[in-house]
Amino acid sequence: MRAGTDKTWFVDLTAGKSWVEESPLDEVAPYLGGSGYGWRLLADRLPARVDPLGPENIVVLNPGVLVGTRTVGASKLTAITKFPTVASADRRFFVGSCTSGGRYFALGLRQAGCDRLVLLGKAPRPVVLAIRDGGVAIEDASHLWGKGIDEVSRHLVKQEGPDAGVLVIGTGGEKLVRNALAIIDRTNSLGRGGLGAVLGSKNVKAIVARGTGGIRVADPARYDALSTELVSRVAAWPRRAHWIKLGLAAGWDTFKHTQNPGMWPKERWDDLYGEAKRMESLRSVIACTSCPLSCRLRWEIPGGQFGGETGLGSPYSKSATSGQLLGIEDDRKMIHLVTQANSLTGIDFYTTTRIIDFLTRMAEEGRIPRRQGDVDLSRGYETVERLFRMTADREGIGDVIADGWYRVEEEFGLDPQDYWYAGVCKGIDFIYDARPSRFHPLMMTFLTRPRPHHGGSHTRTNSRNKTLEEFREQVAHWGLSAETLERIFTAAPYTGKFNVGRYTSHMEDMMQVKNALGICTIYTYQALVFGDDMARLYSAAVGEEVGPGELIRRGERISNVAKVLNVREGFTRLDDRAPDVWFRPMNTPEGTIEMEDYFQTKVLTREDVERMLDDYYDERGWTRELGIPTPEALEGLGLADLIDGSGKTRTETGRQR
Amino acid sequence: MESGAGRLVVWRDRCRGCRSCQLACSFRKTGEYNPSGSAIVLERDLATEKTAPMIRALSCDLCGGRPACVEACTYGALTFELLPRIEVRY
Ligand code: SF4
Ligand code: SF4
Repeated sequence: MRAGTDKTWFVDLTAGKSWVEESPLDEVAPYLGGSGYGWRLLADRLPARVDPLGPENIVVLNPGVLVGTRTVGASKLTAITKFPTVASADRRFFVGSCTSGGRYFALGLRQAGCDRLVLLGKAPRPVVLAIRDGGVAIEDASHLWGKGIDEVSRHLVKQEGPDAGVLVIGTGGEKLVRNALAIIDRTNSLGRGGLGAVLGSKNVKAIVARGTGGIRVADPARYDALSTELVSRVAAWPRRAHWIKLGLAAGWDTFKHTQNPGMWPKERWDDLYGEAKRMESLRSVIACTSCPLSCRLRWEIPGGQFGGETGLGSPYSKSATSGQLLGIEDDRKMIHLVTQANSLTGIDFYTTTRIIDFLTRMAEEGRIPRRQGDVDLSRGYETVERLFRMTADREGIGDVIADGWYRVEEEFGLDPQDYWYAGVCKGIDFIYDARPSRFHPLMMTFLTRPRPHHGGSHTRTNSRNKTLEEFREQVAHWGLSAETLERIFTAAPYTGKFNVGRYTSHMEDMMQVKNALGICTIYTYQALVFGDDMARLYSAAVGEEVGPGELIRRGERISNVAKVLNVREGFTRLDDRAPDVWFRPMNTPEGTIEMEDYFQTKVLTREDVERMLDDYYDERGWTRELGIPTPEALEGLGLADLIDGSGKTRTETGRQR
Repeated sequence: MESGAGRLVVWRDRCRGCRSCQLACSFRKTGEYNPSGSAIVLERDLATEKTAPMIRALSCDLCGGRPACVEACTYGALTFELLPRIEVRY
């Protein structure tokens, strides 16, 4: 949505047709526009229970409402679709969203006049969608099918010009690897859990976007003054100099405590993967559109087998954690695997390396045969590299890994709940473990969000060593009532010093706001931009006065639409289950770590987490038994039309499963 | 680049590619944010994704001595140096 209009571009890939629908602003505004209205469109158009890899599935790509304006970190695009990760033993699939920045793609869509791109059906053969001023061209991509992400990205940018944005899937997405993602502008990944496979199933190899149109805001003078104020605030942040020097390579001192798998002594991890190691390969730091805090990285592997190889994205946290899990001491080998994933295959590094860790250890312990076809599952880099390639190609045992955790269970009788790091929920392995990280709201949202990944929900609570006052200070800007703040910050015997369940529901609504507006999560993570700032920006951009309370209320509406879509798919509270591994002590060389609350006031039990889940659903006005929206909750949000004619909420279909 | 008032200095190595300069320039000139309507072209090296701003001399009027692009660039890749109005030479 820009001042005055909201245009959704539809592409029917089956028929080879495209058209534009303009939505009246009074219909869009309650969902903020961007991904908020994208969720609503999907709720109206996506039939329940379709195959996520079938032509009935729909992909909605939403550049943020503020993308293309000069304001803090307005670079984000949010994709919404039904993901192909098998999320339960009875093969249900969640409808989820994922978000990512970039420099050219989201901006290119908006400059072309496309506020939202909806992909329907399936192209009869591989295609590239070219978004240009005034329309979409569906172009043959037979010559690009089978080629790597980076090669295709460079080819398309050369062809379209240096301002062209690209979203490309890799060979893994083509082969329908269920965790495969897409890469935007070569530097940003979008949609672990299978967005890349969904695009592959539709025969969409890439989307290229460029335009020459301008982005208008309703009150230009006010908007630009606000933006200048916020950019200056970020520029004056005392830690900025350090941050922009290292980008996502920063933060080892926190990372080594919060994301430690506990297998190596910490000093060894420091030596092999610490900040000094990172500096050996880091070459430059790249910013997304309008971002005064750049974080994307370019690296070059120094020496060794892969010496001179370069890559783009952010390799360090992933490689350090999986390197330790897999017992691989040479960081350059792990960085090589990240490079392969980002620039060639597009398979998800986290899920793939963790399933490989699981299988190779189980083989070592004799729980599964070491020999699988012609593969020897002995631990070591050669096995990992081979399985990584076989997964992308769906070859042999790689076909099992490509289908995810539930397929591993089917084939080998191994329960994913036995995996020792981080845990698995709805078919996705969490990127952090709640024992070293502690049970902060991001851990809770891994359970309660439809897609178990952070999705841009960071707040102050995801940093170490903050005070309760800092948490309170941030939330005070969200426009919540005094009673709500009281509920969040009143401790109960099962919560620690604040109620993570109640906090998380509002944090998720704030995430919906950020994603709809297109503001990067780093600004709420570092407490540099607040809810009321975003309300002022939004008001000046669209010309409707929206206070912070109303802004987050609209975020809540979006969260409810997302939930209804997933209840239709049969998801209930039973799926929002904390992984077993959280409740087992983690034995590390430095001692045992149990899952505690943020301030380490107590060790949390499953019963404690269940009570916080009770509070999460209660805070949302959803049923405690099944964690689904009540008719009253939906009516209160103006979503009565999502309640079906028989007087039941459509949500009750979930109960009849 | 020089004018009576000062000169716009481009520090190519410092550019991170955030495009704020292009957005600010077009906004100052047209009231819209539009990289294509700015006096700045962002060069892009596909080997490294290194970018650098290139000012189109014919389109740039140095904003009458208060360059919008300089104010917008938080990475110090664009600066404005005032030139002395009187210079004494020997
Ligand atoms: S010159 Fe500055 S404002 Fe322009 S793209 Fe480079 S870093 Fe961003
Ligand atoms: S000085 Fe003004 S006109 Fe020239 S490039 Fe910068 S913003 Fe544009």
